[in-house]
Amino acid sequence: MSLEVDLRLALDGFELRVAFRADRPVTGVFGASGAGKTSLIESIAGLRRDAAGAIRLDGEVWLDTAAGRRLPPQERGVGWVAQDGLLFPHLDVRANLLAGARRARAAGADPERLLAEATEMLALGELLHRRAGTLSGGERRRVAVGRALCSAPRLLLLDEPLASLDLPLRRRLLPLLARLRSPTSPPALLVSHDPIEVQALCDELIVLQRGRVVARGEPHAVLADPRVFPLAREEGFENVLRGRLVAHRGATSSVRLGAGEGVELSTPPIDAAVGDEVLIGLPASEIVLATRRPEGLSARNVLPATIEALPALGEPGPVSVRLAPELPPLGVEVVETTPERMGLERGGRIYLVIKATSCRPYAAGRGTPAPPSPGTGS
Amino acid sequence: MSAELAGVLTLSLRVAAVATLLVALPAAFAGYALARWRFPGKRLLSALVGLPLVLPPTAVGFLLLRLLAIDGPLGRETLGFDLALLLTWKAAALAACVMSLPLVARTARVAFEAVDPRLEAMARTLGHGPLATLRMVTLPLAARGLIAALILGFTRALGEFGATVIVAGNIPGRTQTLASAIFAAQQTGDSGQAAALIAVSLAVGLVAIWAAEALAPRPHGGVGR
Repeated sequence: MSLEVDLRLALDGFELRVAFRADRPVTGVFGASGAGKTSLIESIAGLRRDAAGAIRLDGEVWLDTAAGRRLPPQERGVGWVAQDGLLFPHLDVRANLLAGARRARAAGADPERLLAEATEMLALGELLHRRAGTLSGGERRRVAVGRALCSAPRLLLLDEPLASLDLPLRRRLLPLLARLRSPTSPPALLVSHDPIEVQALCDELIVLQRGRVVARGEPHAVLADPRVFPLAREEGFENVLRGRLVAHRGATSSVRLGAGEGVELSTPPIDAAVGDEVLIGLPASEIVLATRRPEGLSARNVLPATIEALPALGEPGPVSVRLAPELPPLGVEVVETTPERMGLERGGRIYLVIKATSCRPYAAGRGTPAPPSPGTGS
Repeated sequence: MSAELAGVLTLSLRVAAVATLLVALPAAFAGYALARWRFPGKRLLSALVGLPLVLPPTAVGFLLLRLLAIDGPLGRETLGFDLALLLTWKAAALAACVMSLPLVARTARVAFEAVDPRLEAMARTLGHGPLATLRMVTLPLAARGLIAALILGFTRALGEFGATVIVAGNIPGRTQTLASAIFAAQQTGDSGQAAALIAVSLAVGLVAIWAAEALAPRPHGGVGR
């Protein structure tokens, strides 16, 4: 997949002017609200008639104002997941999911099979015959994602899929969305102002500020960028890492981060099976740094790491540390004068002290992956 | 109910029903255009559609009469044949149709405006063209409001008097509707007949208003239950 965007669009008080090429499975666009993210998505979907410039997907021209070409939205083949779900209120969930079935068939896919897959992936089984108007916020989001998938899109456009949901619900839904990273899922462009969402889902991150691209790269590294971190911190910055549940140990669970031996982390008990992939959130403000290995602590995790980057002297920003070469960097929030006071240096060794209870597992809940068995649904 | 009263009621219902059928498509189209499109002359269309609401009905009747007169734009001398509408129940239906157009078009406009255009945009991104989107999203979501619009149009047509009496006259058994029969009864001092006619009008009107209220668009898309 290769999405090429070179876009100009007048917005309220500033101009959205972005040029990028996205060729990773899931590309994120991160920015505060009002940065132009939704307008970008709507332009790619073909819904903004005032969008100027060029948009191409795998060489197919969707927009080229210089050549006078503008492909109408129904011919672009996008799966748009709008912020508020935008389910059709007069249809039940099943009819909503099949609203793009004709397009899926035209693309050579079997809508019923897509429906079955989306139902299992997003745990929609019990919702199929509910009217869209009766669903809760979290249910609406899941159905909206499912409807996009069932239309066999060439490109998924996700607009803040978890915004304005409460934290416990986001914890349960994020692992379901993370299944969009499977090789069988269509490539996706996700816009979000939520650092957790973009770390968990994206391969690459583009940062948008008042209509301009100000940074791009690997999500964790980009978010630790001093120009970006203030944006991320407003939302309460949390490092999100992928790992595998290796053991239940009564009061705690053990999660291995990264491949092979990797790094083992003690977490609160996780509602998942041993061997499952899990997402772990580590709030940047709850990681303690130590220059020597501390002893006699209640904290379960004392992990050696390397200092990757330090904020400029006197500037707010995270200390960026790396647990292992194959793991993404973590941001650690410290008082501005701390790096100097502790004598921290780039490339130096450091210990991270993390309480098990500070680790926030994201789990869909055991049993969620399987579709409900017949007879239990009502 | 006397045979005469039944005849008046049947004729009135037929005139109103035909007027409603005639007005439905143009009014729905005008309502949709006013709700969804931006085009030059939109204000003019809006004014034209609303005109019968502000003109005296007798003025509309007179204009229709000129339109259909022998030497008028739709008269025998221009067309080469006679539409033979004047002084028939068909003229009454035409007059009622014109008079109910503003009400139906305005109510339809509100019904279409209550449909979130983003839902239509969603349908487009799912592969549906403009017509399929109209069928799948817009019409079902506007349906209650559109039916309410038609019921209002029907009641307006039922009560039409000023324009009707000019183009169709007030001929008992041929063009006399509830409204014109009440006028005739009052003129001849037959207050018993007037009271019966008013009672029938009241019953029909109450049923229509109740139905329109029950179907009126609700806030938030108009499909709440």
